Amino acid sequence: MKLTHIAAIAALVLGMTAPAARAHHSFSAEFDVNKPIKLQGTVKRVQWINPHTWIWIDVKKPDGTTEEWGVEAGTPNTLFRLGLTREALPVGTEIVVSGYEARDGAKRANGRDMTFPDGRKLLMGSSVGNDAQSK
Amino acid sequence: MRPAALATLLVLALVPLQAQTPAVKAGATGATKTPWGDPDLQGTWSNQTLTPLERPAQFKDKPVLTEAEAAAYEKQLVAAGDVDNRTPGTVQDVNLAYNQVWWDRGNKIVADRRTSLIVDPPDGRVPPLTPAAQKRREEDRKASDNEKSAASWLDFDVYSRCIIRSALPRLSTGYNNNYEIVQSPGYVAIMQEQMHETRLIPLGNQPHLTSTVRQWLGDSRGHWEGNTLVVETTNFTDEARGSTFQYATKNMTLVERFTRTSDRTIDYQFTVSDPDTWTRPWTVKMPWNRIDGLIYEYACHEGNLGLEHMLSAARAADRK
Repeated sequence: MKLTHIAAIAALVLGMTAPAARAHHSFSAEFDVNKPIKLQGTVKRVQWINPHTWIWIDVKKPDGTTEEWGVEAGTPNTLFRLGLTREALPVGTEIVVSGYEARDGAKRANGRDMTFPDGRKLLMGSSVGNDAQSK
Repeated sequence: MRPAALATLLVLALVPLQAQTPAVKAGATGATKTPWGDPDLQGTWSNQTLTPLERPAQFKDKPVLTEAEAAAYEKQLVAAGDVDNRTPGTVQDVNLAYNQVWWDRGNKIVADRRTSLIVDPPDGRVPPLTPAAQKRREEDRKASDNEKSAASWLDFDVYSRCIIRSALPRLSTGYNNNYEIVQSPGYVAIMQEQMHETRLIPLGNQPHLTSTVRQWLGDSRGHWEGNTLVVETTNFTDEARGSTFQYATKNMTLVERFTRTSDRTIDYQFTVSDPDTWTRPWTVKMPWNRIDGLIYEYACHEGNLGLEHMLSAARAADRK
């Protein structure tokens, strides 16, 4: 079976079952899918605001200067339930962010993947416990 | 009267009336009563579930799964929703936009192992849309595609604008699927974490508002049928994109039923009808499960930078 066939079938199966992915706003209206970016820096401040948390990091450039980048993350309520609290992401923490640059050219990106430098994820899994009734 | 019988009467007279009422035992059905005698729905609840609204084609003739099938299906759904392991470029990937950090969808289907939240029609599918509703759906899709070149905040839907999360009724979504119910004599209040809206539902036989008054969450009136809270909502508005349920008109009627079935579960059902949208009414049944945590604030307007950034992106595109 050709790879494209496998991909097509996988897409079909996922299309039937995957929950709708709709965050608070249109991703493609805010960020540029043609401008992937990888940032490594230290957490300077975190805005625990709704509807999206913003993590601001200082990124060291090759010439030794630093640049401040804003990274859009999930809603604070969800992050809190998942265990990402103020204590879990203190100022000075080094993180690696993969995402896409803002369409308006500002130094902002979406935080598609955020990890610690050793590859560990900031968060794992879901906040949901196994409620006996239906979860 | 014999002394023993007299003593029994005296004891009964001394016991408060409330204690004599043959209350439904909590634990058996969980249907406890408020101090003023209404069924007690109070607490914090979540309608999070992986069960899809509509029955997927793979379960066409299978409304309920076996335990083994349900376990396998849950695994399949969790894997499909795991955006960390998605295939780049697929529709599910949403342009590589959001990874698992964003989502809180849960990992279970409904406890009765149904393959769709829709229980009527029996095929578990939304009834066919009328031609007018199909046109509305098409227009909405076009408007959504045009957000990249939006001229104004008015070009965005009610969700992006932080007005309401979506029209009633609410289905399970990606995160913050939490509700708090508070009751007082004559009223039931339901606070929805996303967007921190409270529905204030008067009980009794009060008529709906006049049809010229239209509200984002409509106009709700409730009454009790046994242990079930029945809420009818009308007077919706089509003032902004996304302010009606799916592709319905503002004249849709929503009837919701809340029944406490255990200490930790409310059986929630709703029926929507709108002859201008669907060829017949349809009904959803889904549990609201108690959560042990709190509802948190979701003051969406305060930090709605997304709207500002989308508009600045559109203006940057104009300048190119």
